[in-house]
Amino acid sequence: MMAALRDAVVRGGLLTRIGLALFVACFFVYLFGPLALMGITAFNSSAFPRVSPWECFSAEWFAVLRNDQALVEGLRNSVLIGIGVVALAVPIGLAGALMLMQINRRVRPWYYTVVISPILVPGVVLGISTLVFWDRIGIMFNAGHETFFYNGFFLTIIGQATFISAYSMLVFISRLQRFDPALEEAALDLGATQVQTFRKVLLPFLKPAIASAAVLAFLASFENYNTTVFTIVSESTLTTVLAGKVRYGINPSISALAVIIVAVTLLGAAVFEVVKRREQKAAREAEKVARGEVQTRARRKPLLLEPAMFLILAVFVAGLGTVYFAGTVGVEECKAAVKEEKRRVAQERVRKLQQQRMFQRAAPVAGEGEAAPAAPKAQREDSSGFGSIFAPQNLKEQVESGPPAAGTESFQGIFAPENLESQSGAGQ
Amino acid sequence: MALACHLQKFFRRNGIALSVFLLGAVGFWILFMIVLPQLFMVDFSFRANVPPPKWGTPEHHYTLEHYRYMVYGSAGSESSFNVIDLQVFFKTIMAAVFVTIFDAALCYPIAYYLAQVAHGGWARLMVLSLIVPFWVNEILRAFAFRIIFGASGVLNKGLMALGIIDEPYDFIRENFALYAGLGYAFILLMVFPIYNAIESLDKNQIEAARDLGSPWWRIHWRVVIPFAKPGITSGCTMVFMLTAGALAAPQILGGPSSLWFTQIIYQAFNQAGNWSRGSAYAIILLASCIALVLLLMKAFKVRLGEIAR
Repeated sequence: MMAALRDAVVRGGLLTRIGLALFVACFFVYLFGPLALMGITAFNSSAFPRVSPWECFSAEWFAVLRNDQALVEGLRNSVLIGIGVVALAVPIGLAGALMLMQINRRVRPWYYTVVISPILVPGVVLGISTLVFWDRIGIMFNAGHETFFYNGFFLTIIGQATFISAYSMLVFISRLQRFDPALEEAALDLGATQVQTFRKVLLPFLKPAIASAAVLAFLASFENYNTTVFTIVSESTLTTVLAGKVRYGINPSISALAVIIVAVTLLGAAVFEVVKRREQKAAREAEKVARGEVQTRARRKPLLLEPAMFLILAVFVAGLGTVYFAGTVGVEECKAAVKEEKRRVAQERVRKLQQQRMFQRAAPVAGEGEAAPAAPKAQREDSSGFGSIFAPQNLKEQVESGPPAAGTESFQGIFAPENLESQSGAGQ
Repeated sequence: MALACHLQKFFRRNGIALSVFLLGAVGFWILFMIVLPQLFMVDFSFRANVPPPKWGTPEHHYTLEHYRYMVYGSAGSESSFNVIDLQVFFKTIMAAVFVTIFDAALCYPIAYYLAQVAHGGWARLMVLSLIVPFWVNEILRAFAFRIIFGASGVLNKGLMALGIIDEPYDFIRENFALYAGLGYAFILLMVFPIYNAIESLDKNQIEAARDLGSPWWRIHWRVVIPFAKPGITSGCTMVFMLTAGALAAPQILGGPSSLWFTQIIYQAFNQAGNWSRGSAYAIILLASCIALVLLLMKAFKVRLGEIAR
């Protein structure tokens, strides 16, 4: 009986199914956990991006973000470069895909390998080769340093388009595989010129592919770092500004930027889904009309009146409103309370230390172990493991914990065990 | 002769305007963006390191010094090999291999689940939610891992609250954060090729294997994995190349004493101002990655044509 049950479970794959489902769940935690945690830190008023200790719910980091000149300028440059890359990479990708369809069979694998290679070549290598190449060309033409050969925008657009063209080519190839060449032939037979055929037959067919290639190209350009960091020369983009910020001193305004990007992405994904469903529905209806089941097609509602769109918009506005009100109303009071609490804790510490000092005066040997914990703890909180000497909270914390630090100072050198350790470590 | 014939046919088929556009765009792409820059970089890597005004003068002669430097170090150094750079190089390659294996192991079940088990709206939603994290740029993703792994980060706080550790553990110094972040960075590029491959597998084959009494692991080993091999290979190739060539994650998540090979290249360019050495190192990285990929493909009996689609 038990054996039969076990057999059923194993053969039905129940255990493996549960295992697989658990695995999938863990995977999505790995996928979203880091982003979610980062998102939470964007709303913590603590000057260092962290989830705990939680201080106050605040939207101040979004304001900090808006006032950050370097970031705003980087963002502007990134958008400009993204537009340039779209303008260059989408036509090249289209030409590359059309060429692949026509090229001689024997040459095709070679051609394909060459044009697809930029996807696999590390971005660093692409950036370096672009930089070196245009530099040498500039020297050949004896061009001055103000010419476009040395311009960060030009170099970055060219460098990024090298591999982004290959992305957009892949998009076009997958669409072109469903293209019926008979359409083109029919148009030519009916007396259209090649250009007319291209514009009236092929381009309309490729329109969705052009749109998705453009979106893909823009996003790939917008988030590129490896190539850009070499080709950008003296300019800056969002990613290079961010990289500098993340390496030297950070505050939660970077998390706030991530929240904005994720929100925009989710919004885009939701709208994309709605539009796609609408198109599918329209296609089904058109089929019905063609089969004669329905007489006339229902008139299409404008996109904005679609209930799903309405829902998306409502959720978005509600989220924005919640953040705004919760993040600005009563934050000052909360922060004052947190500050007060910190002060109280600090005072408590001072009091304890003073007591300990009294004990130690009475019996120095007995106090040795107890005085220690305060000192390393204070140090650790300051460094936070990020080595962010510029993070503003370091200053604040030092100021706030001024009294205890002063209290411990006289002990630190003598009693803190880690000093002993480091000394003995150096001795070894 | 044959070329002229082909060209004539090409022009007749596309008309003049379109032909010029196609040839011009593809020609510019291949020549000025792909092939020539790489050749110039190779040329540059064999040149002596002289300041820019002297480029093109006789002082800018051909030399092997940068490649020699990578192996033997500067002439005055004590050890006979350039221990630092070589160590970083091999560590980078090994780490990239392990990250690739980790990603393959992680993504295969997910791809299988998406392609064969999940269906309908649920599968669509999952695919969509797979993509969303990857519109957030690499630097912000690495930043998220710093928040988790930092000394006062979520992981340390959590472990300390649970009483598992009582001192913050330095995940950044031990490179845990780096490997987790690198593994995370290119998941998408592993999932989709495998997903595409498994999706085209006929469900009946799995059913048949099951009916014939095969346990689940043997179904995967003998049916699904062989079928998905091109997808797995192409995913692994992409993840390996991108991991070995990653720059943002090592810069942000790397420990203070550890370097990634791309960081050495970056330093040669931006701090030492030695473009020639930077180019030489970039070529070494590119050539060894390609060699390793081709070698492994040979070992696993996958042809290049199979994965390049």
